[in-house]
Formats: sequence, structure tokens, C-alpha cells
Amino acid sequence: MSKGLPLSKRVLEYPDSRLPHMMPDEAELTAGIRVVSGKSYGFFTDTTVCIGCKACEVACKEWNNLPADHLGLTGNSYDNTGALSANTWRHVAFIENLADRPTGMPAFQSNWLMMSDVCKHCHNPPCMEACPTGALFKTEFDTVVVQQDICNGCGYCVPACPFGVVDVSKLDGKAHKCTLCYDRLKGGLEPACAKSCPTDSIQFGEVADLQERARRRVEELHGLGVTSAYLYGTPGGPGATGGLAYLNAFFLLTETPETYNLPEAPTRPANRVAASLVSGLAAVAGLALAALALFVHPD
Amino acid sequence: MTATQPPSATPIGRGPEEDRTYYGRPALKAAPFEKWVVGGYIFLAGLSGAAQLLSTVADLVGRKKDEAVVSYGRWLSALAPTVGSALLIYDLNTPKRFYNMLRILKRTSPMSIGTWLLMAFSAFGGMTLSCTLLAGRLPRLRRVARVTQIPAAVAGAGLSTYTASLLSATSTPLWAAAPKALAIRFGSSSVAAGAAALSLGARHRGRHRAARDLDTLMVVALMVEALATVASENTCHKKRISVGTEGNGLQAAATVGMLLPVGLHAISIATRRRDTRLQHWASWIALAGSLCLRVSVLEAGIESANRPRDYFRFARPENLPPGT
Repeated sequence: MSKGLPLSKRVLEYPDSRLPHMMPDEAELTAGIRVVSGKSYGFFTDTTVCIGCKACEVACKEWNNLPADHLGLTGNSYDNTGALSANTWRHVAFIENLADRPTGMPAFQSNWLMMSDVCKHCHNPPCMEACPTGALFKTEFDTVVVQQDICNGCGYCVPACPFGVVDVSKLDGKAHKCTLCYDRLKGGLEPACAKSCPTDSIQFGEVADLQERARRRVEELHGLGVTSAYLYGTPGGPGATGGLAYLNAFFLLTETPETYNLPEAPTRPANRVAASLVSGLAAVAGLALAALALFVHPD
Repeated sequence: MTATQPPSATPIGRGPEEDRTYYGRPALKAAPFEKWVVGGYIFLAGLSGAAQLLSTVADLVGRKKDEAVVSYGRWLSALAPTVGSALLIYDLNTPKRFYNMLRILKRTSPMSIGTWLLMAFSAFGGMTLSCTLLAGRLPRLRRVARVTQIPAAVAGAGLSTYTASLLSATSTPLWAAAPKALAIRFGSSSVAAGAAALSLGARHRGRHRAARDLDTLMVVALMVEALATVASENTCHKKRISVGTEGNGLQAAATVGMLLPVGLHAISIATRRRDTRLQHWASWIALAGSLCLRVSVLEAGIESANRPRDYFRFARPENLPPGT
């Protein structure tokens, strides 16, 4: 945040670098809010200030104890992570514009686009709506989490997700994805990725506050001449289409969604259930009537 | 485009917007289903469900002496609860927790709906079959079977088509692009498979009249399936989603399995030979075609989920359902 976060006066209570105990409501110091159950939390990822440091990826792996996916180079710019997966819940995308180098630099970044991707924690989550065991649920923080002791690895949440986020791990046979640091929220802490982000490209907070903050940021950027800035995943915008309503983890982008590997108009798969069931049953009923006409034989 | 091509292949601000991708990487995760295992289940569920439905219709309105065909259909309905359930549990990544499917019923999840359809089908189909088997000792059970077969047939109708909703209620472009047509394809393919299997049974028991009726039904069902296939391919072409696979000919096998039985029957009617061997082959080919249809749809869907361009073309504002 260019204007700076409203820092709590509580920082004055901790003058030393060594802490005697865990800070109560630590998020108040790091994100300026107290995490309370019953409110709606999410991420606002402002890609215009992302510097591609991958601190979010590292913090996520460390806090959640996630194993490495693969060691090696992909050849896709500095993106050696590749994609979100069962073991990777933050993924920094790098889009280099080699073809069209400008002579002057734009008002932000260089000639790169960087974007830290994450589970969108949809308002109407397709993964949760598909889950036949109830393992996927909405928490008291309005986030979407897989209960590891319930999931039986049917894998139906994987194709349901319109953003390619959820994945089944071959290591333990369960579905995994970002929990928006459910355990940290319960302890009053800011999620690991947002806390570690050095430029506040990832901001954690209440969804309504974040949406307001994001709208102001778009206006600010438009004023600076970055007229391509827009929000992905806020009500009525791209990414929040087809019955998804809005995304609790939303983004500020400056290129088409596809550039960042995001669909422009994703849909809620559950909306296709009724039409499909009705037409399938109608076809079978019609053929059963044909059978009746063929078989009928009064004797 | 492969994942290793340089980013200059998709320069920012160049080319048709919806054709941009992120290094050609998939924008979706494909369903982690084993195509032969899940395809096999979808086939068996369709075959069992349709066989139960057709044998119920035959029992209610058909000839008394075709009772053998009815009991044959009741035997076939045991395939989904036994072999089918085993295939489903085998495909889970944590099979020992299969019973967690029974914790809830969720109407937004065709997999949950299907779990309970299979449960109801197993219960009523199992009751109908056991009553049929014990009717020799307790003739009263025959009437019980006549009652329990009706809910079994209703669940069977659901079982023979819900698997299309299961695939359509995902973000996989090929499955999601034409939900209605896919459901009609699966439903009519199930009826064709059920009729083909019952016709084989009827011919085996020497009930040629019943076998001919069943063959006619199979041909009608296959023609409905062919029409729905054309409709679904048209929809995909309109949305510019590729329907093809890189494949091993499964799609071609499914098409042959759909059209060849119709052709064989046309030959047998045109030549007026009523060649039973020809009809016998037609039934087996229709059964194989029904299996190939399900496996090829799974395979093609998984491939389409891995093609980011197909997904981005599907997820365009102009493809949004009205009112959203």
C-alpha cells in the first residue's frame, strides 16, 4: 500500500526483537485488523506492485510444511514453480514482454508482469459444491478448506474448479489447496503469504474493506495513466461471472485475464446439473415409452 | 504450443485476446479419473439401469412366456451394485474411506446424487432379484418383485444418465459445453446397451419375437444417440472447442459401435433373411460401442482440460448462460 497501513499503537508494546510469548491478535500489528470468526476474509493481490520475489511461495511452504513439487528449470522466464498444485498453494507467474520493449518505463514495474496466484476462495465454491463427502466446507472466516480427515480422494473437486487450483496428492491420496491459513486465522495471525509480502502486493483483510481499497487503487492507477488496470473477481467484474458471485481472493490486473492463465468468464458448474439431469431422464423416458409400445401384448 | 516455447510466442497485446495462454500451460486441472475404470463404471451403470428399466416394462406389459427375458434383465441389474461399485471404490485415491460418500446428500453434486441413486438401485434391484430367485419356493414373492421393480426401474433410469451430469458439472470444456446433448447421448447409449444385452439373452432362450422387439428398440436408441452426437459436436464447433483426441481410435470405435449395429439390422431387414448371426453380432458391437463411448468421452475431456485455448474459448462472456 502506497499510503501505508493503519498501524496499531500496539507496536509500541513490543520494542524488542525477541518476543517473550506469542502475540495475541498478531494480525492487528501486521495487517491492521483483528481476525474475528463470522466475518468474511480474503486476499487482494495487487499485481502492479509484485516484484516476483516469491517470498509468498516460500512462506506458504514453510508454514504449511509442504514438500517441493519438482526441482529444475521450466524455461518459462523465472517461473520454475509452474502452477498451483497439491503441494504449492501460492504460485508467482512471470510474463516477460520481449516483443514490445518500450523506450520509457511505465508508471509501475518494468516491462514485466508478475502475479502471485492462489486459491480464489469463491463465494459459491464449485469444489465444495462438487464434494460428495462434505470434506470441503466454508469456515467461520468465509474461506474454503478441505478437511483432511474426511476427504477420500475421489478427485471430483479437481475438474470442478474453474481456475485449476485444487489437486489430489499422489503422496497421501487426498485433495489439497490453500486454506487461507485456517490455523493462523484461528490464532489471530495474518496468513503467511500476506505477512511475508514485502511490497504489500498481497493484502489480507475483510473482503468488503479489500474491495473498497482495491477500487481506490484502480482509480489511483488510472490517474497515473495506467488505464489498463482493472479488478478480477469483484462483483460484476471478470472472474466473478456465471454464478460465482465474487471471489474472496481477487486480483488487480493490467492485461487480459488469459495472459495470467485466468479465464475471463468462468462458470459455476452446479448450474449445469438440472438441465443435464432433466434432458437425460427425458431421453430415457422417451425410449422407455418406445419400449412399452414395442413390448405391449395383451394375452 | 508446448510449455517450452519462448514467451515471445504470445507477446502481450498481440494476437486475438482469447487465444493467449500462459506458456501454453493448462489453465485447469484435468479430472484424475482412470478412463477405463470410471468409463467401465459408467457403462455398467447404464447397462444395469437400462436393463432393469426394460425388464420392468416387459414384465408389466409384455407376454407371459417372455418371463425368462425379465429375469435375465434382473440379473443384469446386479452388475452396477457389484462390479460397478468395486470399480468406483478402486478409483478413489483413499479407497478405505469410500463410506464417507454416505455422510451427506448434496444436490449440487452429481457424484453425491449418483451415490444415493446407486444405493437405491442396489436396494430395490437386489430385492427384486432375490424375490425372483426365491419365487420358486414362495410364489407370493413374485408379486413383491412386481412392486419393488418399479422403484428399481426409476432409480435405473437415473443411473443410466446421471453420469453425463457428473461430467458436465465440471469446468472441463468438452464435458461442460453441451450438457443436454451429452446426457441424451449417455441415456440413449444406456438403453441401446440394455436392449442389446437383453436381446442376446432372449435369443439364447429361443425367444426370437422378444429379441426382435429389443433389437428394434436398440436401433431406435442408437439413432437418438447419433442425433445427439451431431448436436453436441455442432455446439462444440460453435464454441470453437476441439472435440478430437490425439488418440488411439477410441472415438472411432465408439462411432462404429453406434452406427454398425444400425447398418447390420438394415442389411438383415433389406435381405429379408432375418439372419440371427448378423443380429447377434449387432448386439455385441452395440455393447462394445457403448463402453467405447464412455471411455472416449472421458479421454477426450481430460485432453480438452489440458488445452488452455479450449478452456479460454469456452469461458468467454458470450458463452455465459443467460441471467448470470
